[in-house]
Amino acid sequence: MRMDRDRLRGGALWFFVAVVLSAVALWSVAAGAQVKNPDSIVYAMYGEPETLDPAFAYDTASGEAIYNIYDNLIAYDKGSTSDFVPMLATKVPSLKNGLISKDGRTYIFPIRRGVKFQNGATLTPLDVEYTFERAMLLDPAAGPTWMISEPLLGYATLTELAAHLMGVSPDKVDMKKLPAKVVREIYDRVTRAVEVKGDNVIFHLAKPYPPFLAILAHGASWSAIINKKWAIAQGAWDGLPSTWPKYHDPQPQADPLYAKAMGTGPFKLETWQRGSQYILTRFDGYWQGPAKIKTVYAKKVDEFSTRLMMLQTGDADIIMVDPPYLPQVEKLDGVRVTKSLPRLQNTTAFFNYNIDPKGNDYIGSGKLDGNGIPSDFFQDIHVRKAFNYLFDWDSYIKQVLLGQGAKPYGPVPQAMAYYVNKKAPTYSFNLEKAAEEFKQAFDGKLWQTGFKMTITYNTGNEARKTACEMLAANAAKVNPKFRIETMAVQWPVFLQKYKAGVLPLFIIGWLADYPDPYNFVQPYMASTGAYGSTQGDYFVQMARKDFDPLIDETINNVDPAVRRAAFFKLQELAYERAIDIFLVEPYGNHVERTWVKGWYFNPVRPGEDFYILSKGE
Amino acid sequence: MTHYIVRRLLLLPVVAFGATLLIFIFMQFLSPYQLVSTYVRSPEELRHADLDTLVKKYHLDAPFYERYFDWVGNILHGNLGWSATSNDWVAHSIAARFPATLELAIYAAIPMALGGIWLGTVAAVNHNRFWDHVTRIFAIIGWSLPTFVFGLVFLMVFYVWLGWFPPGRLSTWATQVVISPSFHAYTGMYSIDALLNGRLDVFFNALQHLVGPVITLSYLYWALLLRITRSSMLESLRQDYVRTARAKGLEESVVIKKHARRNALIPVATSVGLMFLGLLAGVIITETVFNYPGIGLLTYQAAAQLDYPMVLGICLLYAGLLVLVNLVVDIGYALIDPRVSLD
Repeated sequence: MRMDRDRLRGGALWFFVAVVLSAVALWSVAAGAQVKNPDSIVYAMYGEPETLDPAFAYDTASGEAIYNIYDNLIAYDKGSTSDFVPMLATKVPSLKNGLISKDGRTYIFPIRRGVKFQNGATLTPLDVEYTFERAMLLDPAAGPTWMISEPLLGYATLTELAAHLMGVSPDKVDMKKLPAKVVREIYDRVTRAVEVKGDNVIFHLAKPYPPFLAILAHGASWSAIINKKWAIAQGAWDGLPSTWPKYHDPQPQADPLYAKAMGTGPFKLETWQRGSQYILTRFDGYWQGPAKIKTVYAKKVDEFSTRLMMLQTGDADIIMVDPPYLPQVEKLDGVRVTKSLPRLQNTTAFFNYNIDPKGNDYIGSGKLDGNGIPSDFFQDIHVRKAFNYLFDWDSYIKQVLLGQGAKPYGPVPQAMAYYVNKKAPTYSFNLEKAAEEFKQAFDGKLWQTGFKMTITYNTGNEARKTACEMLAANAAKVNPKFRIETMAVQWPVFLQKYKAGVLPLFIIGWLADYPDPYNFVQPYMASTGAYGSTQGDYFVQMARKDFDPLIDETINNVDPAVRRAAFFKLQELAYERAIDIFLVEPYGNHVERTWVKGWYFNPVRPGEDFYILSKGE
Repeated sequence: MTHYIVRRLLLLPVVAFGATLLIFIFMQFLSPYQLVSTYVRSPEELRHADLDTLVKKYHLDAPFYERYFDWVGNILHGNLGWSATSNDWVAHSIAARFPATLELAIYAAIPMALGGIWLGTVAAVNHNRFWDHVTRIFAIIGWSLPTFVFGLVFLMVFYVWLGWFPPGRLSTWATQVVISPSFHAYTGMYSIDALLNGRLDVFFNALQHLVGPVITLSYLYWALLLRITRSSMLESLRQDYVRTARAKGLEESVVIKKHARRNALIPVATSVGLMFLGLLAGVIITETVFNYPGIGLLTYQAAAQLDYPMVLGICLLYAGLLVLVNLVVDIGYALIDPRVSLD
């Protein structure tokens, strides 16, 4: 009887505990439904800015912070990637309004009056002039300023310009020991390129450059306008003709603006706790009117589950989500998911046309004997076409990317629809055609001997791993003698092998710097392109002969119709020559609580625009 | 005792020098194009990178001894170098992140040591009886449950469902207090700084954020310490002096606490010292799950990206900590066991 009483007491206790816990849980859920932190946005992201110096930053996370702190001369008209509106300039230059000269080499920007910097200083045309001159003279290695220098100086880097002036090759130039005459000449060219006349800033281009406005528009962090006096006070270039080499290509720690920011934008940098978060506060003196949001907490939260829980509880308003995790957020109450957003990005499997055979473990015997591949394996067009037929785009996009991607037509993403010929042929998964091509490769010898090779992907990238495995499995289906092994390699090793030219095939993505197809055909197809130039001498020769003249036509011509014809021809050549396997154009997404209002998509914007956001039921 | 402490502290530079030299020697097996991965962090970044220019810019092709002596030279000028993974000075990064980990380790170490020793004693005293079995199961779960899973389950229950213990270090309102000019960061440990600034609200907020990672960390180490204490206690309980104490008619609690446990604590003290070091160094997963920006994650990222200035900076820190913790453990021996002399 006593035991029964104890049991009853115990049961009652557990019941009580359960009731309390449920009540607390319900209260928590109910609390979660109310708008949390109504005047703040908490943004849970992975990664963080590398720097806040507009002339140094070249990553999306840095661009996102700079976008919200600084303004540019012009901006995109809401979601457009081709229509501009004035920002710190009062007009968008065009041929029609006469602010672009007929020869396409002079751009005039009337500068807005009365705009305040966050420190209270007033914007002047001299600030704009200083911004671009400093960027060209800073010229950081692997930085973004080539986009300013190329149109304005005709050279992507000052090293190239100095080499030209000195009559030597760029590798012979020591930028820290330039002759005084060259130092002065470079300064003169830079200052002549950007001039101030009254309220106007005038850019003199070395040659017509169709994407120039896009290179200046908001979202292009390298063109964000800084305050001259403030920058000099921080220790940046003092504006003198002879001192710029001291500031040229600094190591990050030597750049005084590396972790500082002060612009005319809607938010001020409150603090940047590196490795953790940065906090922005509203700039009440913003010339377009203060933002609706008072504070932005951009938190670095690397673990997706934690970001998800923060979103679920309302502690985060916006989170970054990789496509495989979208189903998890889509079923949450109070969360809005916008997906299938076309981005200016693609991922490609590049062939190495001249594989370095020295000590190369990835090409087996290095011969066409069934136990390896020769270094000219991908010079055979039938091999390249066969590899294109081996890739199953439909399965890859549906099953691996859960539908969050599109099959490319060539190097130019479909987001730039005017320049993409959607009627042109593309490769499709077809094992029979792959077999046909393989049978013709190396005069039929390849089909008889078979081959063995290893293709690699950087560790941790599951989508690329699957792409490699699909190629390997499908090759074996075509002919059991075709043996492709896949291997994950750590990023430092991948980098070393890539540089050494030993990888037979490598997968890399490209994200647009600005919305112009030139920014895709140049790196992919030009003999000097970022990727084209690394695909071996055979590719370089082919590009020099057949692609470069067309690419030059796309950049030296301002007529959209002429450019379009050249881009169509390049797309056709990329298909005919099967230069690479264009794997996918991954889609973007945006995940926010439903209480966040005002968001819209622009593929050029580097991340979030907090100025357009507000919160409310 | 003072001589002993001075002697041990003098070892510090030797340990530091040896450890950093070893790392530099390992690094000579890496090519400049592997080392450049610190500055080009993903395939996407290759689009902008002229690898040869970067190798030249950061002197990655210089012989390892040249780089080592440069580094040592900078150290002597108080400069630990620049970290490309944290985009900050190494010393500043460590100073910003280490207090968070130290705070976590201190809060985790107290329940870990007290709970582990107490439960281990309970298990040994009740050898092969109910409480021994209970603690054994407790220990097995602690060991076999991955920290990652435990942390996520904890967050699901106590953060998402109950809303009690959120991840991160502070809530947004408390962050505003901490970054305000009126708040002085004396130690970088928010709970302590909050008390020193007289902000009890911030103190409780910091504690609220510490509960999750502290319990997650403590549980794993509890399990380990419990087993060590139990074994050591069982060994002690079988000793003649325990039998003698009991024969003298001493109370059982006195026999256990003063005679058996005190002797059993020597191996436990060693373990506690090492575990504390482990807490300071190896809390990467807990820091990741709870979004707690400490030094564990920083170490992992620096090592993965071959960011050698940061790796060396952290190595120096741990060399110092290793010497200090060992010193404390040695002093602890002397306090626990009067037979141990440090002179």
